[in-house]
Amino acid sequence: MQRVFNWFTPKRETWLFRVNPALKFIVFFAFLIITLVNQSLPFAISQAILYGILFYIFSGYSLKKLLLLSIPLVISFLSTGLTMLLFGKGETVLWQWGLLKISEESIQHALLLGSKSLSFGFVGFTFILTIQPVLFFYAMMQQFRLPSKYAYSFIAAFRLIPAVTEELQIRRNALKVRNIQFSKGFRGIYERLQSYTVPLFAQSIRRAQRIAVAMEAKQYQMGAARTYYYPTRYTGVDMVFLLVMICSLSSAFLLSIYR
Amino acid sequence: MKKLKFTDLLITIMIGVVFGVLMKFWDDLYTVVKPIMPVARQLLYGMWFMVGPFAFLLLRKPGTAFIASIAGASLSAFAGHGIEVLMYGFAQGLAAELLFAAFRYRRYSILIAGLAGVASCLASFGLDLIYGYAALETWALIVKYGLRAISAFIFTGIFAVFIVKALEATGVTSLIRPVDKKEYTMLDQ
Repeated sequence: MQRVFNWFTPKRETWLFRVNPALKFIVFFAFLIITLVNQSLPFAISQAILYGILFYIFSGYSLKKLLLLSIPLVISFLSTGLTMLLFGKGETVLWQWGLLKISEESIQHALLLGSKSLSFGFVGFTFILTIQPVLFFYAMMQQFRLPSKYAYSFIAAFRLIPAVTEELQIRRNALKVRNIQFSKGFRGIYERLQSYTVPLFAQSIRRAQRIAVAMEAKQYQMGAARTYYYPTRYTGVDMVFLLVMICSLSSAFLLSIYR
Repeated sequence: MKKLKFTDLLITIMIGVVFGVLMKFWDDLYTVVKPIMPVARQLLYGMWFMVGPFAFLLLRKPGTAFIASIAGASLSAFAGHGIEVLMYGFAQGLAAELLFAAFRYRRYSILIAGLAGVASCLASFGLDLIYGYAALETWALIVKYGLRAISAFIFTGIFAVFIVKALEATGVTSLIRPVDKKEYTMLDQ
């Protein structure tokens, strides 16, 4: 686990790291919604290029790591694009073989879908690579008034992930040692699900309950006015970030209209 | 009585997170099946709708389906599925929550849980349409999402209800569910 975290240390901390994490989330989430609802191909492509610039230049990671992270993006670009290319609607048929059909419209739609999936990937990775999850929840509490009981529950539950994955591994080994055979078909899927989930959930629920009781006993006052261990605030970088993002998105939009 | 206490909230979010971890492993299976058998792949898709209805069946309180679904999605987002899954988690959780709310949070049967899964499936279908899948051939749309809806029913209805029953047998649900009238009367005897 530790090795995984070490992998995610950037080569240099760019200005994106200093932006308030909650503000960054809101802005990036707005980008995702714009990407989702947009139906124009030129705008989708110019957005993908803009987010690509953010990802490759401003995330602060070495090119080798960025290329490694690009592999799933390329795969999802191809798989979403190919489905649309071969099974998409279209009148001007260019090639057909049984149910598979490529038409001019389906090429357009495939490119649209592919650029959207690239945009999603770039925005998502840029966000995840440049924030610290704990600070993100602290900023959500302080800048966006997320009730503290939600934020602390998330932080506590995220802290327990290593324990959950370890338990899953133990369960897998235990089943292997006992040489458990599962049936075929849906029955087998159920048996598999049950044999993994029941012990995992029973244990996690007990643990979560104990932690909640302990937190309440230690006077974590949920809902009352409180101080924070990590104070987060807005700084000058946030203003710059907001301005740069609005300007670049609008120029991407304008470029797509006046090519 | 029905309001979420801090304990309930932490358990709900924990369930979401555990599902997030499970979905990460499920994804491996899904990716293997993906290219070889497109039909089997859609039939395995129900796992992604399971988290919300499962949390509600377990805790039986308003809000749990929605919160657990968002927690599961945020874990998936941090685990590298991209933050767009948050939108799907939001829509799917909301759909399941609304369906349980329509029955005043009093029904925990296979049918209602299954319908909640189908509602989640419909919500994700709506998002997919906006995303751009509306341009697929109609037959492809029907096959893809029809199979998905069937799978949603099987996973969130049948599987979730039975797994919750198995969990009841372990005794952990007594930690989290509101105390029954029956249990009070037992004290009087």
